[in-house]
Amino acid sequence: MIRGVIIINDQGKPRLIKFYEFQPPDKQQELVRSIYRVLCSRAENVSNFVKADSLFGPDVRLVYKTFATLYFVFIFDKSENELAMIDLMQVFVETLNKCFREVCELDIVFNFYKVHMILDEIILGGQVLETSSEEVANAVDAISRLEKNANSMIPSIPGWQR
Amino acid sequence: MGSQGGFGQSKEFLDLIKSIGESRSKAEEDRIVLREVETLKVRLNDPNTPKYKLKEYIIRLLYVEMLGHDASFGYIHAVKMTHDENLLLKRTGYLAVTLFLNEDHDLIILIVNTIQKDLKSDNFLVVCAALNAVCRLINEETIPAVLPQVVDLLGHQKEAVRKKAVMALHRFSQKAPGSVSHLVSNFRKKLCDNDPGVMGAALCPLFDLINADADKYKDLVVSFVNILKQVAERRLPKSYDYHQMPAPFIQIKLLKILSLLGTGDKKASEQMYTIVGDIMRKCDSTSNIGNAILYESICCVSSLHPNPKLLEAAADAIAKFLKSDSHNLKYLGIDALTRLIKINPEIAEQHQLAVIDCLEDPDDTLKRKTFDLLYKMTNSSNVEVIVDRMIEYMISINDSHYKTEIASRCVELAEQFAPNNQWFIQTMNKVFEHAADLVNAKVAHNLMKLIAEGFGEDDDTADSQLRSSAVESYLRIMGEPKLPSAFLQVICWVLGEYGIADGKYSASYIIGKLCDVAEAHPDDDTVKAYAVTGIMKIYSFEIASGKPVDLLPECQSLIEEMLASHSTDLQQRAYELQSIFTLDAQAAKKIMPMDSTCDDIEIDKNLSFLDVYVQQAIENGAQPYIPESERLGISSVSDFRSHDEHEPSTHALRFEAYELPKPSLPHNIPPVLASSTELVPVEPSYVIDILHPTSAPSASDAGSSELKLRLDGVQKKWGRPTYSSPAPSSSSTDLVKVQNETPRPDSTGSSKPKTRDTSYDSRKQQNEIPPEKQKLAASLFGGSSKSEGRHPPSQKNTKTQTHTSDKSRSSKASAPDTAVKPSQPPPDLLDLGEPSIASSVPSVDPFKQFEGLFDFTQETTPPASTGGVDGASKDSDFTSLFADMSLSAQSHIDPNPESNGLGGSKVEPSSPQLNKGPNLKEALEKDALVRQVGVTPSGQNPNLFKDLLG
Repeated sequence: MIRGVIIINDQGKPRLIKFYEFQPPDKQQELVRSIYRVLCSRAENVSNFVKADSLFGPDVRLVYKTFATLYFVFIFDKSENELAMIDLMQVFVETLNKCFREVCELDIVFNFYKVHMILDEIILGGQVLETSSEEVANAVDAISRLEKNANSMIPSIPGWQR
Repeated sequence: MGSQGGFGQSKEFLDLIKSIGESRSKAEEDRIVLREVETLKVRLNDPNTPKYKLKEYIIRLLYVEMLGHDASFGYIHAVKMTHDENLLLKRTGYLAVTLFLNEDHDLIILIVNTIQKDLKSDNFLVVCAALNAVCRLINEETIPAVLPQVVDLLGHQKEAVRKKAVMALHRFSQKAPGSVSHLVSNFRKKLCDNDPGVMGAALCPLFDLINADADKYKDLVVSFVNILKQVAERRLPKSYDYHQMPAPFIQIKLLKILSLLGTGDKKASEQMYTIVGDIMRKCDSTSNIGNAILYESICCVSSLHPNPKLLEAAADAIAKFLKSDSHNLKYLGIDALTRLIKINPEIAEQHQLAVIDCLEDPDDTLKRKTFDLLYKMTNSSNVEVIVDRMIEYMISINDSHYKTEIASRCVELAEQFAPNNQWFIQTMNKVFEHAADLVNAKVAHNLMKLIAEGFGEDDDTADSQLRSSAVESYLRIMGEPKLPSAFLQVICWVLGEYGIADGKYSASYIIGKLCDVAEAHPDDDTVKAYAVTGIMKIYSFEIASGKPVDLLPECQSLIEEMLASHSTDLQQRAYELQSIFTLDAQAAKKIMPMDSTCDDIEIDKNLSFLDVYVQQAIENGAQPYIPESERLGISSVSDFRSHDEHEPSTHALRFEAYELPKPSLPHNIPPVLASSTELVPVEPSYVIDILHPTSAPSASDAGSSELKLRLDGVQKKWGRPTYSSPAPSSSSTDLVKVQNETPRPDSTGSSKPKTRDTSYDSRKQQNEIPPEKQKLAASLFGGSSKSEGRHPPSQKNTKTQTHTSDKSRSSKASAPDTAVKPSQPPPDLLDLGEPSIASSVPSVDPFKQFEGLFDFTQETTPPASTGGVDGASKDSDFTSLFADMSLSAQSHIDPNPESNGLGGSKVEPSSPQLNKGPNLKEALEKDALVRQVGVTPSGQNPNLFKDLLG
């Protein structure tokens, strides 16, 4: 199963932390720091995989990829295929790109809620749920629209939408 | 999607992000966040805060917690939000609680009711949100509360809901396998859901279940093979394609399942050969996902019953991986090779140069994977090179976790394959020098044991040679600074036991050395203890052999220092050492016999040697000993009293929590002594007494004390719990430790070839020059064909088996349909879009056919959503669902999917040329804002994932 999804920027600031098995906040911070340390020490043009058994226990690996200023990290155990995880990450990023049009770090910071929504459509409880970014984007759109409708009862305030 | 201008959030949030981005130090950031926490505390607790603001506050709270600050004060507000009617607030609430709370949190109980209600909602988005929360927040205790609703949702009309319901059930079975064991048939049923996505979701729980117990699911082999075949033949709607591969994630899951089912099962494996071979042929090895499937197929082949053709194909694929420039593929190639050499050790030979390249690659991940491979292929002919390499790498890294692992592997390999004693001792010295404190303490004991026992052969000269070479090398090494403690312990022990055994070194020389060790490590009591015991052994050997001994001055001062030590252990040892000098040769021989580590010490548990003494005491008028059980059970009065003794405390205030019931605690205090007014810790017998005050008290009590007595009868002989050690003089503990390890026959069975084909030293020098690689390769792989160590030549006569598959298949009684299947193209679930086929075989209901595979489900009713509807209407139902599918199904052989509008847009969802034109301005604005906000002070263009899709 997938143990967690983490986005950190190139200075080690977490942008998204999602563990599919609960980790207390302190532990989360520690894990993010250790992962960031490992990622920083990696040279360029090497494989995208890192053994993470010292952090998460036997047979747990992580795959990472950098997009602009962000590291995307998926943590998973041996019931997942490494290369397929890279593609899943690709799906995630493609979907982000679709939903935010040229996604950048700030989009992720501010639309935290929506990023989680997207991720929840792709991975549920540590298992891959959907791998078509089209489908995911559609689902997210539908949810956003409905939420907006539900919201229209509330007076809209300038500077605060959705 | 409205990130125009701002980012759809309030100015406050923007400012917060901005100030955090601009903060120059962690302390400054902490100050800002703490101020934010204070603001949020006030706002969230203010009853006048409008609801629509609440959402943002909760999101900000999430942000605060992500930065590592305590946000627990707001958890309750997140819980409250889940109760809200408004969808947006509700979903936000659910998101927050799934991130904030763990499944055992006290607040969960407040959410369960809401989840129950939401699972029944008409709005499927509410249901989905609730299912998301279920996956994360429901624990073993609360599963029954939501289980019925979740099971109902398996028949929901929306496939998204069905999918999530399957996942939720999977989660339950992970958390509490017992809770859903009666629902396993649901997973099987969902395999024939008419939505392939739901079928794919059902594979996840099945994978776990099969992983736990494959035998229960052997009947599904045919179904899985069929599904995989349909997927591989592109019978699924085009929308399941990913980078032109049909439903790759489903394929991968299925291959994983098949490899579990086929492991060690020839019959099942034979059913899979064709499809796995097909998939390997069809894989598009230019795309990432294609390679993922290829790799998964290799893994599958390596766990199936061996088939020469498939193995050959797998070897070819591995060759391709290893030759690739991509480190990812090399990594997978090495991994696949590791799996395959279990079946076919020769296969590594073809790739020797590639493997050596990987070993010298700067990529650490790849290097470690390669060491895994080398570890698996070590035999007695290449052990020296491999272990040498491992040690070299071990020294170079800092990661203590991996250092430990690789050190233990070195030790294991050295013990198993060591060509000669000298090499073995040298290797162990190197490992211990650099990682002794990291490896398991057992390893050190193993080393001592190995030196004591020799290699398990009845060759005394070889054993003593081993010991002398160990002593010699230790004397050389021990002067070096900063040796790990565990290594020094081994050294002291070996010097004490064998330092003067071969007569090469004088006793005073060894004793001097041991004193030096003790002196050099004043803070390490363990090392000092080992050293002093070593000295004691040497002296007593000397005394026993009748030589005149005189106490060295440094030894004298050491003893004096230790007599004043804080450590009672050291004191004891010093006293013992002192008293050794008063003994005569006979006594010294008795207490410290030479070379006796391997002798068994017989322990007389009955203490029968005391019988005479006891007899004498009784004759002199002492009271005979009455076992505790008899003392308690002899009259019910005493029991009654012990029963009584607890009674008052029930009325008094109790300040301690109830303990968990423990199996029979020994009563150390005789019951009479216990004062009734004392606060007594609650004891299990007490609980029992309270619960059954009228039941016969003696039964359970007597029984438990009986058991108790048997356990530690030795110590209780005299009725005094303090009496600890029966031995009159405690022999040195290290000696006992080693001896206590039950001497087992040395299973390593190492052979000791006295000749080595290549010299160790010369090889080391050669590593630098390129042609050397060849030599390294030769030394690594050359011997593998005549390997004798851990890979017994696997004899398989696979060729004869390939043609028996038909027979075995038809003999499988559980699936009669499938025997017929191969003769005609199976009309199947997923191929409904093709009207021509449907009309040509009008009588066949594809669903019925498919369900026929699963006779275990025993019901022919299709999945509950369309329950009762006949095949024809289902047909139309399905085609309407996938209206576009007929189109794609006809053109699925079309090599150019771009002609099909659907496929084209799917594969390259946002080609830069299309999107960038109209968006450029927006992107620039965003960029400007980003800079202004200062999230990334580095100043490079932070946005635009240009590299992403190019």
